[in-house]
Amino acid sequence: MNAFLVVYLCILISKALVNTVLKYVWQSNPNRDEPWYNQKTESERQRNTFLKAFTDFLAFMVLFNYIIPVSMYVTVEMQKFLGSYFITWDEEMFDDELGEGALVNTSDLNEELGQVEYVFTDKTGTLTENNMQFIECCIDGHVYVPHAICNGQIMPGTTGIDMIDSSPVEEGMESEELFFRALCLCHTVQVKEEETIDGIKKGLQQCSKSSSSSVYISSSPDEVALVEGMKRLGFTYLRLKDSYMEIQNREDSIERFELMEVLSFDSVRRRMSVIVRSHTGDYYLFCKGADSSIFPRVIKGKVEQVRARVEHNAVEGLRTLCVAYKMLKKDEYESVCRQLNSAKLALHDREKKLAEAYDEIEQDLILLGATAVEDRLQEKAADTIESLHKAGMKVWVLTGDKMETAAATCYASRLFHRNTQILELTTKRTEEQSLHDVLFELSRTVHQHSGSLSRDSISGLSQDMQDYGLIIDGATLSSVMKPTEDGSSGNYKEIFLEICRNCSAVLCCRMAPLQKAQIVKLIKASKEHPITLAIGDGANDVSMILEAHVGIGIMGKEGRQAARNSDYAIPKFKHLKKMLLVHGHYYYIRIAELVQYFFYKNVCFIFPQFLYQFFCGFSQQPLYDTAYLTLYNISFTSLPILLYSLIEQHVGMDILKKDPYLYMDISKNCLLRWRTFIYWTFLGVFDALVFFFGAYFLFDNTTLTSNGQMFGNWTFGTLVFTVLVFTVTLKLALDTHYWTWINHFVIWGSLLFYVVFSLLWGGIIWPFLNYQRMYYVFMQMLSSGPAWLGIILLITVSLLPDVVKKVICRQLWPTTAEKIQNAEKQLKPDGFSEFTPLSSLHSSNYRNSDRRNQPQRRSDQLSKKLMYTHWGNHDYCTFSSLSVSDSKSNSSSGLETSV
Amino acid sequence: MLIVFFLPHLLYFSSYWSKILKMKKDNKPDNTAFTQQRLPAWQPVLSVGIVLPLFFIIGLAFIGIGIGLLITSNNIQEFEEEYTGIGDNSNCYICANNATANCKCTLNFTIAQPIQGSVFMYYGLTNYYQNHQKYLSSRDDQQLAGETYYLKNPSQSCKPYQMDINNNPIAPCGSIANSFFNDAFALYYNNQGFLDEVKLDGSAIAWWTDHNVKFSNPSQTGSNLSQIFEGTVKPINWSKPVYNLDVNNPDNNGFINEDFLVWMRTAALPDFRKLYRRISGNYSSFMPSGNYTLEITYNYPVKDLPGKKKVIFSTVSWMGGKNQFLGIAYLVFGSLCFVMGFILLIVYAKYQNVEDNDD
Repeated sequence: MNAFLVVYLCILISKALVNTVLKYVWQSNPNRDEPWYNQKTESERQRNTFLKAFTDFLAFMVLFNYIIPVSMYVTVEMQKFLGSYFITWDEEMFDDELGEGALVNTSDLNEELGQVEYVFTDKTGTLTENNMQFIECCIDGHVYVPHAICNGQIMPGTTGIDMIDSSPVEEGMESEELFFRALCLCHTVQVKEEETIDGIKKGLQQCSKSSSSSVYISSSPDEVALVEGMKRLGFTYLRLKDSYMEIQNREDSIERFELMEVLSFDSVRRRMSVIVRSHTGDYYLFCKGADSSIFPRVIKGKVEQVRARVEHNAVEGLRTLCVAYKMLKKDEYESVCRQLNSAKLALHDREKKLAEAYDEIEQDLILLGATAVEDRLQEKAADTIESLHKAGMKVWVLTGDKMETAAATCYASRLFHRNTQILELTTKRTEEQSLHDVLFELSRTVHQHSGSLSRDSISGLSQDMQDYGLIIDGATLSSVMKPTEDGSSGNYKEIFLEICRNCSAVLCCRMAPLQKAQIVKLIKASKEHPITLAIGDGANDVSMILEAHVGIGIMGKEGRQAARNSDYAIPKFKHLKKMLLVHGHYYYIRIAELVQYFFYKNVCFIFPQFLYQFFCGFSQQPLYDTAYLTLYNISFTSLPILLYSLIEQHVGMDILKKDPYLYMDISKNCLLRWRTFIYWTFLGVFDALVFFFGAYFLFDNTTLTSNGQMFGNWTFGTLVFTVLVFTVTLKLALDTHYWTWINHFVIWGSLLFYVVFSLLWGGIIWPFLNYQRMYYVFMQMLSSGPAWLGIILLITVSLLPDVVKKVICRQLWPTTAEKIQNAEKQLKPDGFSEFTPLSSLHSSNYRNSDRRNQPQRRSDQLSKKLMYTHWGNHDYCTFSSLSVSDSKSNSSSGLETSV
Repeated sequence: MLIVFFLPHLLYFSSYWSKILKMKKDNKPDNTAFTQQRLPAWQPVLSVGIVLPLFFIIGLAFIGIGIGLLITSNNIQEFEEEYTGIGDNSNCYICANNATANCKCTLNFTIAQPIQGSVFMYYGLTNYYQNHQKYLSSRDDQQLAGETYYLKNPSQSCKPYQMDINNNPIAPCGSIANSFFNDAFALYYNNQGFLDEVKLDGSAIAWWTDHNVKFSNPSQTGSNLSQIFEGTVKPINWSKPVYNLDVNNPDNNGFINEDFLVWMRTAALPDFRKLYRRISGNYSSFMPSGNYTLEITYNYPVKDLPGKKKVIFSTVSWMGGKNQFLGIAYLVFGSLCFVMGFILLIVYAKYQNVEDNDD
């Protein structure tokens, strides 16, 4: 848009310059400069020629300044502001559970929603619900599954444990209880007694309604899930009272532990610990954390069994935590206390000292077991991702989770398909080979099939291409990004980008928050300058949300930081689909038309004035009356385009949602290319030529009235202006595909307003004006037959080329949207079916790619749960949910079935 | 006016504003067709199917109109005689080169075919920029509307013809008035050597609204025009004061003199014509063929511009004077529509075939 503006500024200046120069050339004849009938005043004669030329130049600038559509900015702002309400108003983006709909924090980016090429999404809370369910625990290699699952059928009593493995022996019993106690104690959960109405806690409420009405609250949903799970296994954490933690054990007796110290969680250590004193006076240290941070500190326990189970669970997409403990003697405890206190009281580097202290304390642990918590995929997350893929977007999942868990989620959410070839770029591989080799190998693999095709083909979805998925972890990423001493870092980055460009899906795991932003920045700065979108729910996503062009926050469980820092906030991930495919698409086509139309209508408006200068001695005489000059952009032609840009729908909403391919129709800013811009400009110039010379020849030395009277220059201008207003408005009418009563109202209303205004403006001697040049001009013009015929002719002539162009383009090179419009028309009973060809609507490569990208799925299960996937040797199958619309799109290769 | 036009929209949006405010309590958005963007709509598609017949209809209609216009235009008779006086053999050569006032010259011309219907007489000027910005603004509409204050205090825009050297206000002021066309014509029919004067009617040659509303003489009870205009001076180039423009008709004087009004309606283009008289009397509905003599009182200098002066005799129809352009344009454009229609038809047929082969 700004580039267009620069062009128009150049046109404006050159127009003014040309006219100024021509004026002086023309005036070189003294009879022209100062004919006897039009003499100058004495002061005018004496003015410096250079100064005169300069004021003339400025006067021309003023005369032509309308070509820079200042009103466009106002209209664009209004369009963006008002248009964004449609997002907030959208019922489909309203979440009943949260009681909130979408939020728009900036309205500046509406049209960017239609241009997104890269989607960066967080996993936890974004793709998944962040509603944790305790699934199982593994104690000393024995697996325990609470058979009562939270939703609904909770078994009364406290014996709900299935022993999957062999029955535990006596000592197992002991460690089992210790494990449960550990989980009951090692957390920062708070208990809230009365019922809350907070929407987030509702789910928990249901889970815990069997016993008391208390609710667990914690900053981490995992902890809540664990404590809830323990409750179902018979150990209920009651409360923290006077630094005593109370636990109700299986025998319904209450055990009290004094809470001595909490070594709180942080994302670097990835673990937390508590030190408690039991009623017997023993000091225990319980520690729980990520497997990677616990196993190195364990000296005893069945590490191998637990590790195997943890890995198994991770592959299934479960979030795992390991639990360990150690007994402390009293003197040990006291030294720990001293250590901690001195660290806490340190004036310098307190955090560092604390971390050191923690590190020292959390040593020599005895492994108890591991837990597995499930985070369910959000409703329709898979469907959404698939739609985004089909719409030509590349989806990147950026998560802090471990690779196996994240990968499983990616498969479940159909980010990776069965036929996706997974490329790994992880520490595991780079340990074996150098980063350099791995990168080159991967890029070779990628290029093997695609060759140079890659960049032109439609974002990796074309039929010749193997679908690639890339997995990269944080450590490798930072080494890719890190500038090496031999200066080849740029190379690495380039290779990495090249690989990424060829992958339809990328998974980045073990990401630090800042790394997320780094990735977004990397892609944003790559040479195609794609529009990026980041979506996340937590505080750790804020940096990437801020970095991306469009930031979208999910109103999740981890607070509202992401939602507050984002450009748009939506309740659920699935709403992204409508946001991009429907709203984004609409906003883009609307704003594109708005911008082009504004340039067009101002060219139409000003170019006749420019031409008129050649016939009035380059004297800066305006062609139109002042009122017309002022009101043209303000009221005669403003509302139709504003309302158009608010409610135009070239294709129905449902079709846009059903057919994500349509999104590619507008990708790469294709409606605001130079070609279209030049087309519009030339159309404007052509129309202006028609207006002006049509009127010129109509007025050429003849009378237009039946009483022989002549018209003057203002009638000439008014005739041009009338043709102009009608043409420009009708041109918009031709472009409108969605005629609601509002469109009818504003389009016909604007024309009517113009006529009424002109009648009024010319019908009265306005007392506050010192000139009455428009008096009766409009009425006189309307009383003349040839003027009417001329107006009709000129309007038709100026509209015709555009109509012809549209019809021919529609017939010969129809865009997908146009095919769909034709089909819509056909299906209506009164459609013009005999004229619209019955043909398949998608061009053949669309159809092929469609089939190719639809893996054979078993779509008979309707459970929402993420089910078991066996991942590892690229042989997996998914029993995941399929919504109705999915199975439909599965069967539809074209649009015939889905319309 | 503007506000009235915007009002319905404002109301429309404000009703949603109030609902937005209410949403604080009940967050759920309204389920209305407007908010959900599901307003019922007519969705026309500009397909060949609709456009083809439209092209043929427009083509036919335009060709029809074009033929009608051309016939009408061809039925209009028009005579144009130049009398600038350039060239030695020109009758007005002497007048054009001598700056004597009221120099008379005659112009003889022959009308071969008798003219049926009322005939209008125009004078035409070429290369005369009445639409020059400075010239156009050099007038005072308030003075011309008869406001007494502005009669004595003409607007600044009239400069350099606002005040004369003695600082007396000029009425009517400004360049346009000052350059008032002051040639006069008399027409004679050469009836077998005997010159019969053709009566010319100078009434209703200006717009009715100009004559009756926009322009008026300053009024002052009990005084005639010359008294009213006392204290003002005539424009520098004028020979007669404004209250004495038409000696024959005292009502046609002052600012509402019709010739003056015609001149004050500035032309749009540098080559223009202005209505001078309508032929009345015996010849009002029929001008016989034969020789005519036009007696010109030559005053108006155009030689230096360099411009031309013409007189034009023309009949008018419902569509005004002779104008081939409109008829031809309609014809050409109508045929173009037809051609386009055929091209589209071919394109359409071809496309259809390709589609059939495809599937």
